[in-house]
Amino acid sequence: MENVKNPDAVNEVSEPAENTLQKTMHERDIKKISKKQKVMRFIVQFLLYAFLTVIAISVLFPFYWMLISSLKTLTEYNQTVPTLWPKQFAWSNYATAFTGDLDLGRLFLNTCIVGVVSTLLSLVVTVLAAFAFARLDFKGKNALFAALLATMMIPGELFTITNYITVSTFGWLNTFTVLIVPFLVSVFYIYLLRQNFLQIPNELYLAAKVDGTSDLKYLWKVMIPLSAPTLVTITILKMMGAWNSYIWPRLVANDAAHKLVTVGLRGASFVDLATNMTNYPAQMAAVMIVTIPLLLVFIFFRKYIMRGVSRSGLKG
Amino acid sequence: MDQKKNQWKAWLYLLPTIVLLLIFTVWPIFNTIRMSLLKNYDSARELGGMTFEFGFSNFTAVAQYSGFLTCLGNTMLLTVITVPISTMLALIIAVALNSIKWLKKVFQTIFFLPYVTNSIAIGMVFMTMFQMIGDAPNYSSIGIINTIIEAFGGTRINWVNAGSNYWANMGVLIIYIVWNALPFKILVLLGGLQGVNKQYYDAAKVDGASRLRIFWRVTVPLLSPMIAYVVITGFIGGFKEYSSVVGIFNENMGPVGAPRSLNTMVGFIYDNINTNQGRASAAALILFAIIFAVTMINLYVSKKRVHY
Amino acid sequence: MKVVLQHLTKIFPSRNKKDPNGEVVAVNDFNLEIPDGKLIGLLGPSGCGKSTTLFMISGLEAPTGGKIFFGDDDVTSLSPENRGIGLVFQNYALYPHMTVQQNILFPLQNLKGENRLSKEEMLVRANEVAKLVQIDEYMNRKPSELSGGQQQRVAIARALVKMPRVLLLDEPLSNLDARLRLQTREEIRRIQRDTKITTIFVTHDQEEAMSISDYIVVMKLGVVMQTGKPQWVYDDPANLFVAKFLGTPPIDVLSGCVVGEKLYIGEECVLDVKGVEDQDVYVGIRPEGFTLNDKGRLTCAVSGIDVMGRDISIVSTHPASINPLIRSIISSDEIGKIHDGVAKFDLKEHKVFLFNKETEERVYFGKQVEAHEAMVAQMKEEGEFYSAHEGPLPREADDKIRANAPVAEKKSFFTKIKDILPKKKAPESAPEEEQAPAEQQEGQEPQEAIPAEDGEKTESKE
Repeated sequence: MENVKNPDAVNEVSEPAENTLQKTMHERDIKKISKKQKVMRFIVQFLLYAFLTVIAISVLFPFYWMLISSLKTLTEYNQTVPTLWPKQFAWSNYATAFTGDLDLGRLFLNTCIVGVVSTLLSLVVTVLAAFAFARLDFKGKNALFAALLATMMIPGELFTITNYITVSTFGWLNTFTVLIVPFLVSVFYIYLLRQNFLQIPNELYLAAKVDGTSDLKYLWKVMIPLSAPTLVTITILKMMGAWNSYIWPRLVANDAAHKLVTVGLRGASFVDLATNMTNYPAQMAAVMIVTIPLLLVFIFFRKYIMRGVSRSGLKG
Repeated sequence: MDQKKNQWKAWLYLLPTIVLLLIFTVWPIFNTIRMSLLKNYDSARELGGMTFEFGFSNFTAVAQYSGFLTCLGNTMLLTVITVPISTMLALIIAVALNSIKWLKKVFQTIFFLPYVTNSIAIGMVFMTMFQMIGDAPNYSSIGIINTIIEAFGGTRINWVNAGSNYWANMGVLIIYIVWNALPFKILVLLGGLQGVNKQYYDAAKVDGASRLRIFWRVTVPLLSPMIAYVVITGFIGGFKEYSSVVGIFNENMGPVGAPRSLNTMVGFIYDNINTNQGRASAAALILFAIIFAVTMINLYVSKKRVHY
Repeated sequence: MKVVLQHLTKIFPSRNKKDPNGEVVAVNDFNLEIPDGKLIGLLGPSGCGKSTTLFMISGLEAPTGGKIFFGDDDVTSLSPENRGIGLVFQNYALYPHMTVQQNILFPLQNLKGENRLSKEEMLVRANEVAKLVQIDEYMNRKPSELSGGQQQRVAIARALVKMPRVLLLDEPLSNLDARLRLQTREEIRRIQRDTKITTIFVTHDQEEAMSISDYIVVMKLGVVMQTGKPQWVYDDPANLFVAKFLGTPPIDVLSGCVVGEKLYIGEECVLDVKGVEDQDVYVGIRPEGFTLNDKGRLTCAVSGIDVMGRDISIVSTHPASINPLIRSIISSDEIGKIHDGVAKFDLKEHKVFLFNKETEERVYFGKQVEAHEAMVAQMKEEGEFYSAHEGPLPREADDKIRANAPVAEKKSFFTKIKDILPKKKAPESAPEEEQAPAEQQEGQEPQEAIPAEDGEKTESKE
């Protein structure tokens, strides 16, 4: 317990080589270090913000380009040096988008029909399956669930070929059915919802049983309200899926009455009759119209989208 | 009695799921294998009473077919280039985002934006940014990207127009795919970073580790499960690449004058879906085998390298 | 390395931007001079600012005001890596992906320039430190393969390996089970003695702090309450908070009153207290400060007796007691002196501490005055480490509310009694809730009645 007054006493046990740190620390000009620190911190912060700003501009630029291009006249768009802001706003591009060979109104209607119906049916199917997997006991439950998860490994293209033949045989080509039925079951959504259902204590279910509540009533009154956020996530992702789907609709429903918006957008030629050139401003206006609903959904449901996305790795 | 009733009820709940899966998932698995083993199989002709020679001829034909090899090469190239770039970039962005306070939410929202877009539609926007207008060599407009390049003293590049170079086309695709792939990766990695105990960083700071060392010795190892996850999903997505190419090059899958030069595996399958389902099935199975192998390799590597 | 803290203050901004009063003063004008080569325990209840203080010393938290010196160096503005400190985190913060050896080597690998060691030197140094903390057998294991105690030692080794000027430990034992805790605290003591590195550790466990520290620093609400050798602080607490915080079983606190240099608890005059002015007091009595005596002046109703071998612990009640029960530790020979469930106690004068009821500061009496002065003088002479809080003591939030209440409502305890007396019965809680401001109290003439908790009239003064 003796009071050690010698400041070097700390080093008593260590070898001389080990003193370097201590000594240099002592000799260093502390003000210099602290100033250097501050400068470094400032530089690092500055670089971070500069870097993030550059990335943010790169991310946003296509959106900006889409917006201003959609408002340019065809003449201005075709100018040698592209302008960064339209000289005069050509709102007529938006009218052209709706009236040209691209019948946007019809496309929207088709897409909404498919989106709403397939989302509703898909929710029913998903909820029932998730409930069975989460709450009911039956033989082979775990094996069946594992088999379901295993199908997630297989790329969809493997199914598409046969499914194309199947729906042709059923005579479903160019109907809404073909756009809705084959994709009603999503193993990922069943998995997501089952996980959510499992978090609801089983005691609630048993209590409901004791009170004589039927399974369906329990599902409707307890489980669905409690897992509302997941159902919202599924709804949004499913709707976005319909909005963005291209490959399958392109393959099986190419007539005007059933065409979906993305297929129509890509397929339309946007030829300006006067000049016989492609009317890119009108095309960009159409792209804007297709993109805006997505951005609105994103603004209002960001939380739900991110929740689902971080767990899936699948787009749309 | 009650037990039996329950069993019956459970299967009732699962009925729609099982029926749909049987028709649209289970049957295709078997049928695809069957079709791939029948030479130049075509379902319409089969209905007409035609029979097909059994064997591996579809696979050998596909492997020797130059169109398929182009698709395989393009797909591989795109995947191998875009996955490391987007992962690295996303990691750096996530770390940068995690070390700022002011405007963090704003940046986060901006970076997520590309995720919620229609990849065909935005692909069209990218095309217009790179495209030159008019006929070579007298372009009326050289496009915004070339304008920017020339403003910085570079020379214009024919990115996507007729007569454009394969690598220029690839460059555009890579830029677009990376742009499209970043949001998901940033989201996952940032989530991972926020889950890392802050004390590890405090400890590293006390231990005098430089930022670069903290990044390589602390952040990357601690994030390794998340990194493995985004790499695996990135590879799977990369091998299924199709709509980015359609977005930029339309269904020609290449610039004017060189159709299908940028076709992908998935593109090849769709090209053959109407006419030669045997060959399409063989290609689909090869795609599945590649994805399966790459995933397994990734899992094996990450088991060795992922730390906990 | 001597560590000096001058006017160290940390204010955390309000979490809710709309509420400017939401800011939290975690550490308030903290002054401390920690002698070189000692083991210091920063002790206090949770939220007293001890961890914040530690993190400010480490450089991970920037102080709002004040300065930190290591020796003569002002390190206040230096970042942690430039301070030459070792820090052991509460959860150890061992890198889970590195082996024990890699964890220990990590700080060395960060050294740059002239301080950079060769690979062999690093290994030698890591091995040395590992041996010192007795972890050298496990060098190739991952932290997840070690027990809590072993992880703790690896964390200490990692902190020690670059020979820090100051070693800081945040709640080093809180994540260990009881048996390991005893063992590990001896280990920390041993390592500190071997290396003679000035070591500061934070704990909320007074027993832990008392057992291994050279000096303890008792904190409350960001303010140093008292510092010194553990035994001194225990024997000579400067205020009620310190008295209550140290000691197991805890000190018994009773409500009392000094009238005419005599201490009354309830109706009973229990002690002569020379040199103390008349005032309401809290009487703190260490459990070992009781002796059974048939003529003892403090009468308690016994509610239970715990036999603990050599000693027995008597659990009793007294109307004036602040705690529901009074615990006293008596030699087991004296058990026969309890009759009819009543224990009569005499009090050992040096185990009884008086605290002014308003300020909660210590009131010395009799021989305690000289003893205290002699001790302080001796410590000054020897250059020892001692300080006690001066000025108004920090109060909990509810105390603040009470202090801010309108003065008219704040009736003196004595006047309150006067109001109540005609009614004969006072509400039970009265003496607790209303406290007399000191200046009002001074003006009062000695009172006839000294009420006990139950509000009954008590016997008159002699």
